[in-house]
Amino acid sequence: MTPDQILADVRAMLVEIIGPEYALGIDIGMTTSFEADLELESIEFVKLATRLGEHYGHRVDFVAFLADKTLNEIIDLTVGEVVVYIADRFTPARTAAVDG
Amino acid sequence: MSRFLFVVPPLAGHTFPTVEVGEELRSRGHHVSWAGHAETIGPLLAPGAKLLPVAAEFYGETLAQLHRRSLGLRGAAAFRFLWADFLIPLAVSMLPGIAAAVDEFQPDVLIADQQALAGALVAHQRGLPWATSATTSAELTDPFTYMPQLGSWAKQCLINLQHTLGVPTPIDLRYSDHLVLAFTTEVLVGSVHTFPGHYVFVGPSIGIRRRMVTFPWDWLDPSRQHVLISLGTVSPSIGRRFFATAVEAVAPLSDRLQAVIVAPPDLVDVPHEHVLIREFIPQLDLLPHLHAVVSHGGHNTVCETLAHGVPLVVAPIRDDQPVIAHQVTEAGAGLRIQFGRVSPADLRSAIIRVLDDPSYRSAAQRIQTSFTTAGGAAAAADHLEKLT
Repeated sequence: MTPDQILADVRAMLVEIIGPEYALGIDIGMTTSFEADLELESIEFVKLATRLGEHYGHRVDFVAFLADKTLNEIIDLTVGEVVVYIADRFTPARTAAVDG
Repeated sequence: MSRFLFVVPPLAGHTFPTVEVGEELRSRGHHVSWAGHAETIGPLLAPGAKLLPVAAEFYGETLAQLHRRSLGLRGAAAFRFLWADFLIPLAVSMLPGIAAAVDEFQPDVLIADQQALAGALVAHQRGLPWATSATTSAELTDPFTYMPQLGSWAKQCLINLQHTLGVPTPIDLRYSDHLVLAFTTEVLVGSVHTFPGHYVFVGPSIGIRRRMVTFPWDWLDPSRQHVLISLGTVSPSIGRRFFATAVEAVAPLSDRLQAVIVAPPDLVDVPHEHVLIREFIPQLDLLPHLHAVVSHGGHNTVCETLAHGVPLVVAPIRDDQPVIAHQVTEAGAGLRIQFGRVSPADLRSAIIRVLDDPSYRSAAQRIQTSFTTAGGAAAAADHLEKLT
């Protein structure tokens, strides 16, 4: 799974969550921020966590990922950081460690 | 007779509920005083009420300057601002004034609003019996379940503040161990939460709040339904898009409803006879005429609306509003929409749903009943008397 594929998946989920009509005006990329650019609300973070879990399975735990962040990191969180986190969860070493 | 001191932040919504409770205590013969910012708080109090003023500025900044700086913040950024740039500096700036007020007034009981942390601090330092006045219920439930670092960060801010001030045994200043007065009911907050015995739910305290504001009552057409659209006292620059969306949402509904939008007249274009723009409204007098309210989810507006059994469409912007919006939808008394992104069509369908589906009004009426039986200001006064 490449970062580009993951970005495309995450982008599709975000478009669904914030609504295609509104998402048209935003080019969701790696540097897009959840708070300042997407104005994602708390319940929408929860929706995203659910979607990510459904799509990627137990290896991607978005809630745990958020829980490790400081307040300032939450405020500055970008789509790219989530993409990198997901990619990291599927690297061969990680997969071996998790499965083995 | 006892002496009660209310400590309030310079925020109308946090002061109003204490006014009726204070007047109730006064009517029972107690001595009552408020401590806070004279310019903001003074006009809100009942005639003859005693006010002990605190310093008007904090860190050289006025409240208006601070408010301008906060505009546009949302989510966790708004949360950080609220605590680091407002509540903690506010507490530090109010401390000398509150200490002096306690020296002068010698209260038997101190009531500290949950955002007037200086009140809790002084009461704690002096071993005074004190109560928390929770004018919004957001801090009573845990709104941070998905981001626990927000709650623990705020708690750490409070501990650090007390360490800086040399308080030997820091406490969570948001919650009194003696009494927490919540101006809501468990029907609205949600039965999934359990609370300690010293948490008392008295319902909203909204009786004394009528100010003379004119309204063109003749404009209301009894053959149509009436919808109020209000973002409370939120700054116009934030509301511009939302108001335009709201006008477009109700535009095709002239055959069935009239809409009152609370906004500065220059902010909204009104090409429709069934839409009225008023900068100020007599909200409590208007509520009995309303069939639905579209609101940002301010706790007072939401409670006043539900106290009249009227359903809501809630568009939370920040702070406690997402939590209040969640409570309203969980209770079945309304729908939630996204403030920054909602389309005219989505807002229109939300308004029509709460008007046409009787379940929303039934749920609002259930909450209305719970408010009526909770006891309000009289019940709050009963509990405060027990602290003396």
